[in-house]
This record gives sequence, structure tokens and C-alpha cells, in this order.
Amino acid sequence: MRISRLYEMWRRFANIASLTITAVCAVVVMAPVFIILIYLLANGIRSVNWEFLSSLPKPPGDEGGGMANAIVGSFYMVGLGLLLSLPVGVGAGVYLAEFGRSRYGNAVRFMADVLNGVPSIVIGISVWALLVVPMRSFSALAGGVALSFIMIPMIARTTEEMVRAVPNSLRAASLSVGATYARTMWSVVLPAARGGIVTGVMLALARAFGEAAPLLFTALGNRFWNLYLDRPMANLPTQIYEYAKSPYQDWHRQAWAAALVLIAVVLVLNVVARMSTRERFRALR
Amino acid sequence: MRQRSMSIVAGVLVATALAIVAGCAPKKGTTTTGSETKVQITGAGSTFVNPIMSRWSSEYEKLTGVQVNYQSIGSGGGIQQFKEGTIDFGATDVAVTAEEQKDFTRQFVQFPVVAGTVAVVYNLPGVTQNLQLSPEVLADIFLGKIKKWNDRRLAELNPGVNLPDQDIVVVHRSDGSGTTYIFTDYLSTVSTEWQQRVGRGKSVSWPVGVGGKGNEGVTGQVKQLPGAVGYVELNYAVQNNLTFAAIRNAAGKFVLPGKSTGEEATRMAVEKLKQDIGSSVVNMPGENSYPITGFVYVLVDKQPKDAAKSAEMKKFFEWVLRDGQKMAVELDYVPLAEEVAQMSLQKLAEVP
Repeated sequence: MRISRLYEMWRRFANIASLTITAVCAVVVMAPVFIILIYLLANGIRSVNWEFLSSLPKPPGDEGGGMANAIVGSFYMVGLGLLLSLPVGVGAGVYLAEFGRSRYGNAVRFMADVLNGVPSIVIGISVWALLVVPMRSFSALAGGVALSFIMIPMIARTTEEMVRAVPNSLRAASLSVGATYARTMWSVVLPAARGGIVTGVMLALARAFGEAAPLLFTALGNRFWNLYLDRPMANLPTQIYEYAKSPYQDWHRQAWAAALVLIAVVLVLNVVARMSTRERFRALR
Repeated sequence: MRQRSMSIVAGVLVATALAIVAGCAPKKGTTTTGSETKVQITGAGSTFVNPIMSRWSSEYEKLTGVQVNYQSIGSGGGIQQFKEGTIDFGATDVAVTAEEQKDFTRQFVQFPVVAGTVAVVYNLPGVTQNLQLSPEVLADIFLGKIKKWNDRRLAELNPGVNLPDQDIVVVHRSDGSGTTYIFTDYLSTVSTEWQQRVGRGKSVSWPVGVGGKGNEGVTGQVKQLPGAVGYVELNYAVQNNLTFAAIRNAAGKFVLPGKSTGEEATRMAVEKLKQDIGSSVVNMPGENSYPITGFVYVLVDKQPKDAAKSAEMKKFFEWVLRDGQKMAVELDYVPLAEEVAQMSLQKLAEVP
């Protein structure tokens, strides 16, 4: 009798204690996000203005100027990376989901996971050796390729998961009304998996957008406008790095503003990713 | 419906691909803005020279429309990328030695474009005046032999200054750096013990102290730690309101880093430079010369891959060595003494 009372008290205590600990952990998980956001807002919001978004960098001594070329450059190279990685990533993902139960499939899956874990600076140096040295020039192309190396494994692995999650009954239904396998993939399976794939792509974009290391030795950076593939191109992460380590207050101010712009874009990409997942669940219901 | 949106995605991708490929078509090395064609020159290297280089680049673009894109990747990176031929010119705080030149497959010239002084900065609450340091005391502080700010030898050099009973915290660079090279080159020149125990280099094994990454890292550490002493390029000291020391030069005078004292040092180096343009200019003679002074060198190809671009680059550096020098002062650099600028122009003349 007494023992069971004690035991019950212990159970209650353990319950409350575990709940408190996990709740505190949950808060700790959220805290860095809010700290980063608040800190960036406090330091950067005053400097995010039209001049910052629309003009080129100015040399020290002249106040003001902006990072228009770096903002455009970041979008340009991430877009280029997407262009290269989306077909390859989705193609590989479909292959792995549909035909990947072979030794070759396992090897591809393993390599994709390895590539996903390769430090991004290593990717930058590899692309430098692969493209920059033979072309004898730093270039937007090299930057885009480096970013695509980061995105390909992420897109391939999410596509695989999403395609595999599409119920077999849908494939069977499509095949039984006489559609070819290719038609089934294109018109039935991929659309059903679309929400999940979009989520994966958005997360890959968000990751690529914030990467400085792969661009340091590929895109290099540029003080001026450039839209050519074969020339150095400005981008936000390396520009933040350069401005933050300068001796000038005005550049520090702009580095904060650039960081705020960067985090805003990453946040938007994440929210879009979240929304497309919700759409997917609605579609499956 | 869904099928159509998939097709739209595919269509947009193909269209973008075509647009980018089409955009790539114009002649290499030129940008077309409206009707005029703009040359873009890429240089990289020394972090120290970045502020003045972006000033020059901006002014020169206003004058001529030629765009000089300079990126600060560090002196070592500048030499490496120049060697690989991925950039049009490199910039470094430490001249390429005759030994290193053997590794180059192409012929090139190197010449100084601007100079700078390294300031010894410190954080001593209550002490706002410029302390006076002798080379021996400076070396012993960085060797860890002088441990307190109120050490007898420091007090003797600074009569009338109320030095606190505080531990000295040495702050040095944790990364490889041209600034470290100039500073340790100086200490090796003035102290045999330093030369034997530590030596000169872009990174050395420091006997004492804490590391900071980059000039900005050392600046931050010195600002935060009472009792700290470190070395940074003068513009970091000035921009961050750090107090810096006057150093006793070879002529026995205490001098502060700055435009005129640095320029004097480069003028005194002319004879030495005539022997070897890459020779060290620390601890130069002259009443008024600041002893911890160094050049920034630019590396340019003698046999350029693109002759038109190289001609534009030559014009740019001619402008830098003539009109560009006066801009150096505003940004706390040291303009080249007239004689040195002339030597650089002669070197530049070797470029076709």
C-alpha cells in the first residue's frame, strides 16, 4: 500500500520533471532563431533602405552605397545552381525510388549522402580546380556549379522519399488504363509528389543562398555589375564577410543590413517550403 | 491542371537556360552597357590594400569607364591565384622572393603601389597618451619577458606616465598575414633573440599571447582586454580610436606611425630598392622614419594573355602611381616617396 503510494508520487514527479526538461529544451531550440532575428533587426533594419537595395558599393570615405549587385548576383547564381541541379536531382530521385533497389542504387544513394556531407569549402575548392583554373577566370558559372553540387544531393534524396511515398494504387490505376510507364511518372506520380519535392527544392535553395564558402574561390566577388557567366560575380555572403572584417563603421552597418536581407530571403524560402508541404497533405487527403 | 504546372516549370527552366547561354555570347572580357563597351580587370590578394584599391577603382571608373574589380582574399591567395593565371593582377604585402619566382611558369613584374605602417596598439585604462617604446622593450614584451605594464624598463622610457600595475596581454594574429610578416621582420631585425627564437614569417609560433583573426580580430581583442597590446595596420587603429605607441627608430628618435614618417622610411629605402625591389624596408635610417613600415606590391604579367586588357591595366597602374598617391593619405596609407613611385613606373614599363 505505502510502496504503491510512493511509487505513484515518484511517477508523478518523473512526469512533471520530464515535461519541464523537454519544454525547456524546446524553448532552447527556438531561442537562437529569435536571438538571431532580433539581433539582426536591431542592427540592420535602419540600414535596409532603397539606396542599399539599388546602388553599387562605394569606396571607404564615401558614406552610403549599397549591395544591389550582390543581391542580384546571389539570386543569379542560386538560380543557375537550381537550373543545373533540378533536372539531375529529380531524375536521380525518381531513379532511386523506382529502380533503386539494386547494388548500383545503393551506391548512388550512399554517394549522394556523402556529397551532402562534404564541407562546402571543399566543394568550392574542387570547382575552383575543375572550372576556374581551366577557364583561367573566376566566374558566375563556377559559382552556380558549386551551388548545384550542394543542392543536387538534397533534391535527389527528398525526391526519392516523396516519389516512394506515392501510393502504389495510383501507379496501378494509371497503368491499368493503358498509360505508359513514362506517362504514369510524368502525369501521376510526380504531380502527386510535387508538394514534397518543392519543399526539398526550397530547403536546398535556402541552404545554397546562405553559403559563402563555395563562392569564395569560384565567383570571387565583384565591385561592379556583371551578368556574364564567364566573369566574377558579387554575392551577399562573401560581401558580408568582406564588409564585416573591414575597419569602417559604415561598412559594418551595411554588413548587418546584408545579413538581414539574407536571413529574410532564407526565411521566405522556408515558409514557402512549409506551405507547399501543407498543400501536399491536403492533396493526399 | 497539375500536369500543366509541371510543364510550365519545365518550360521556364529551358527558357532561363537559353537566356543565360545567349547572354554568354558577347565577346569575352567586355561588358556592354548601352552602346559603350567596358573593360573589366580582375585583381585579388592583400586584404590591407583593399580600402585604397576600391577607392582607386571607383575614381578610375568615373574617369575612364574601365572597371577594376579587386577582391581581398589575402596576400598568399593573391600570389597563388596570380600564379595559376585566374586573375589579371595580384597584390601582396610581402614581395615574391627570388626563390619563389622559380615556381612561376610565366614572366611577371612586381612593384610597390602604396605603403603602410603597422601600429603597436594597447588598451591601458587611464593612459591616453602615446607611450614610447624602444625596439628592445617591444621585443621583450612580445617574447613574454616583460610581464607588467609598470615594469621598470617601461617606466624609464615613459617618465611622467602613471603606468598601472597590470599584466600585459599580448594579442597577435592567429591567421597568416602580411602584417605579421612586417612586424616579425622588424622584431627579427632589431632583436637577435627574437630572430633566433621566433624569426620572421606570415605566421610564427608566438612565445606568449592570445590570437585574433585578421586585423579586425586583433582590434576587437585589444579593445576588450584591459592591459592588451597588439599590432594592426594603422587604419584599423585610427578607425577604432585605439591608442598607439611611438617607436624608437634607428636614428634614436621616437616616432609615431603616419603619413610623413612612413613616407620618410620609403624614401630612405630607395638605394636598397635599387638592388632588389622586393627588399625589406623595416628599421630604415632617417631622423623621422617610422621603423615598422612596409609596401604593398602588385604582380603583373609580362606576357599577358589578353594584350588589350593588359594595356588598360598598365594605364590604370600608371594613374595609381601618379594621381592615385594623394588619395592614400585620407585612408591612413603612406604614399610612395617620389623616387619609389618612379622606380615602380620603370618596372611597369616592362609590361607591353
